[in-house]
Amino acid sequence: MTQKTLQNCGKCGLCLNVCPVYKLLKEEQASPRAKLQLIKSYDNDTLASSPLLKEIISKCLMCGSCAAICPSGIDHYSKFMEMRQKMARSQGDTPAIKSLIYLLARDYRLNFGSKLARTGQKFLPESFARNYKLGNIPLKNFPKLNRVPFRTANETVILPDKAPVGTVVYFTGCATNYLYDDTGSAAIGILKHMGYCIIIPKDQTCCSIPLLFHGAQDKAFKNILTNIKVLKDLDADAILVDCSTCGEALKNEYPRIIESRGQNDSDAKKIAAKVIDVLTFIDQQFDRLEFDSSATKKISVTYHAPCHSKNTFQSHINAENLLKKLPNVNYKPAPDMDECCGGGGTFFYEYPKIAKKMVDKKIKAAKDLQVTHWLTDCPVCRLNLAGNLTINDRMQVLHPVTLIYSALKSI
Amino acid sequence: MLDIQVKNKLIKITGPDRYLDRPEELACYAYDAFVVEALPDAVMFPKTTREVSDILKIASKFKLPITGRGAGTSVCGAPVPIQHGIVLCFSKMDTIIEVNTRDRYIVVQPGVVNGDIQNALAPFGFFYPPDPGSMNTSTIGGNIAQNAGGPRCLKYGVTVDYVLGMEVVLASGKIIRFGSKNVKDVTGYKLSSLFCGSEGTLGIITEATLKVLPKPETVKTLMVTFDNLDNTANAVTDIIGSGILPAAMELMDQMTLNAIEDSANLGLNREAQGSLLIEIDGVKEACEKEMKNIIKKVKENGAIHIQEATSDKEREKLWAARRSAYGVFAKLAPDIVSEDVTVPVSKVPLMIRKIVEITDKYKLKAGVLAHAGDGNMHPMIPADRENKEEWQRVEKAFSEIFQAAAELGGTLSGEHGIGLAKSSYLHLVMNKDTIDFMKTIKQAVDPDLILNPGKFV
Repeated sequence: MTQKTLQNCGKCGLCLNVCPVYKLLKEEQASPRAKLQLIKSYDNDTLASSPLLKEIISKCLMCGSCAAICPSGIDHYSKFMEMRQKMARSQGDTPAIKSLIYLLARDYRLNFGSKLARTGQKFLPESFARNYKLGNIPLKNFPKLNRVPFRTANETVILPDKAPVGTVVYFTGCATNYLYDDTGSAAIGILKHMGYCIIIPKDQTCCSIPLLFHGAQDKAFKNILTNIKVLKDLDADAILVDCSTCGEALKNEYPRIIESRGQNDSDAKKIAAKVIDVLTFIDQQFDRLEFDSSATKKISVTYHAPCHSKNTFQSHINAENLLKKLPNVNYKPAPDMDECCGGGGTFFYEYPKIAKKMVDKKIKAAKDLQVTHWLTDCPVCRLNLAGNLTINDRMQVLHPVTLIYSALKSI
Repeated sequence: MLDIQVKNKLIKITGPDRYLDRPEELACYAYDAFVVEALPDAVMFPKTTREVSDILKIASKFKLPITGRGAGTSVCGAPVPIQHGIVLCFSKMDTIIEVNTRDRYIVVQPGVVNGDIQNALAPFGFFYPPDPGSMNTSTIGGNIAQNAGGPRCLKYGVTVDYVLGMEVVLASGKIIRFGSKNVKDVTGYKLSSLFCGSEGTLGIITEATLKVLPKPETVKTLMVTFDNLDNTANAVTDIIGSGILPAAMELMDQMTLNAIEDSANLGLNREAQGSLLIEIDGVKEACEKEMKNIIKKVKENGAIHIQEATSDKEREKLWAARRSAYGVFAKLAPDIVSEDVTVPVSKVPLMIRKIVEITDKYKLKAGVLAHAGDGNMHPMIPADRENKEEWQRVEKAFSEIFQAAAELGGTLSGEHGIGLAKSSYLHLVMNKDTIDFMKTIKQAVDPDLILNPGKFV
């Protein structure tokens, strides 16, 4: 089956033009089409596993742009994940990636790890932080971890500010839980304001995408089962994500993976049907928002569309819509709004040179707009964009919910 | 694998970063969008004319095959290194050297993508007409080597009509420049015509000066359906025959329409046996008049439904349907063969009947598409090359289609080129002396036959 489907790549080359890595490197081996060819050769035993093969396969942002444009409807995403798994098995992974997988596979490890890391951040010698980089990002530009994980700091059930209009589940993802609680707090603030009762299941865990990207399919599967168990029986109108990559997982990968393992996918499908990104959700019910009319000064803002918002949810259109409607925002669209920033999960760490070139191009375009705020709804994009800005750039990178929340009238 | 000493000499030219020869990398340069594959011994990415010249000097000394490649979107195997050797990949030699819309030209390196040329011209209100389906990916070097065309070439002509001048590196490594930046230039042989469509067999293009045009002020797009394919084809002949020259006139048969509708759900008429997507451009008043005449002609030919795009969005939707044809066919089987035989436009109805007859005879599912206004047919056959029996039927069918086109005074290729796909059919449209004449030219400029060997000449 794999074989036949793979051959459906007509090698037309349309994917080259949308692949951020190909466009930068201009080498066929960086293209999605070449990766399919290599996977076919590997499966046919005409090409053996090697460190170079693993490198070529993993030199990919997993942004999904190739699948979105492919006229033959090839599911590059799962083919690349499968191949990454094979490569991880035969070639192993770097200690850093292995630790990441170890942490993400169990939420308590991540919880414990984050406490350690926070302590570590505190004691990190200034000179070390100033001079060292993780991937393309200077260490000093990494955000401080949340003082307390977001899910620990918040109740499982949060009641609205006014008469309830419905109930939503908030799948916070790891980034909001450990890194960016400002996003979580703003999202909760908005939802309460809209009149929603919010459920934040305590036992939710990593959505598994990073595990899948690094070939840890079995560990990922355990996480997936945990999340399905946590989410399936909650009586809610919608399951909200503030990160489109988590959304991609819940919406597309869970049903596919459950089905591919021959298990009953009805729960996964039920969940998938309810998944919606928080910005689209807010945009759809914009009338529920009441704005603070006393504020007169507008903030100049541009937006970076994360690849998964663009390719999975097409929610970047809704995000822009929303920004245009905000009374406190002067929205300036960037000409390269939907070009990839080079973050790509751990891509910025594995291929810092390529990622740096991509992000610098984005930064230049954003600076030309002379905005003070650069909004994006993906934590890795945020980390990558913010991490590569300097103080002189005078731009703050935030999730759009933060600005929306700040514009609301307090009830 | 190249001899280590030769390899070292080559690496000296570009540095190790732009020389590839590990199997994992070579595997990525063995193919284009055609079905035949062959591995190169090395891949090099030149960035300057000097580098190309130095590489060719070594290649001719050691008699190494040299196959040019841009983005590898050819559909006839032209950039497939069938005799191995070195693939020269031009994707990194991609600078737009000069945009000059006052004098109506643009100067580019071979690796510039066609779509990037359009983007560079758009702010000035200009465009470069040749629009192959791969235009957002394919490079201008490849476009020129294959003399590429596309839908709007009906009105505007193909690549050769837009090349004013070129810089070419010969097999010996010598660098020649011909043509100029003048729209009118009859000085000496029209060498650009020789290199357009030479498919990398005569020299390596390292720079091109292209003619550009101002964008037409108005574009109108029409989708017309018919209850029979003959009527559809007759409407084409009738419109062109009456002196109207649309920018594009695309024909799709029922199978194609249904395949598109299955995958895209655009609200196309599934019952229609044939349809035409017609686009006209130019001055507003002229467009309106032409549109009336076209509508009259299609009605006379029994059009059952006429839909005019009322917005850019609708226009884009109609074109998206047409463009998705290749992809939806590609989903039907592991492989897809698409050819581009071309006949005089008055023979379009006959040729379409022939295609249907032949594919029926070999029990093949085929979609009939065409840039019908210029007689450029695109029969598409989804099949499985692993299925030997079926594949033989496909080959026989195409052989007969080529034969039929030749008998109608047509030709093998309207826009894809010959490459590996059609070299064995040249005799259908050229006599031996003509083929020999091409060989004489080839021998004169490339005596060691190192430039894209194993192709049509």
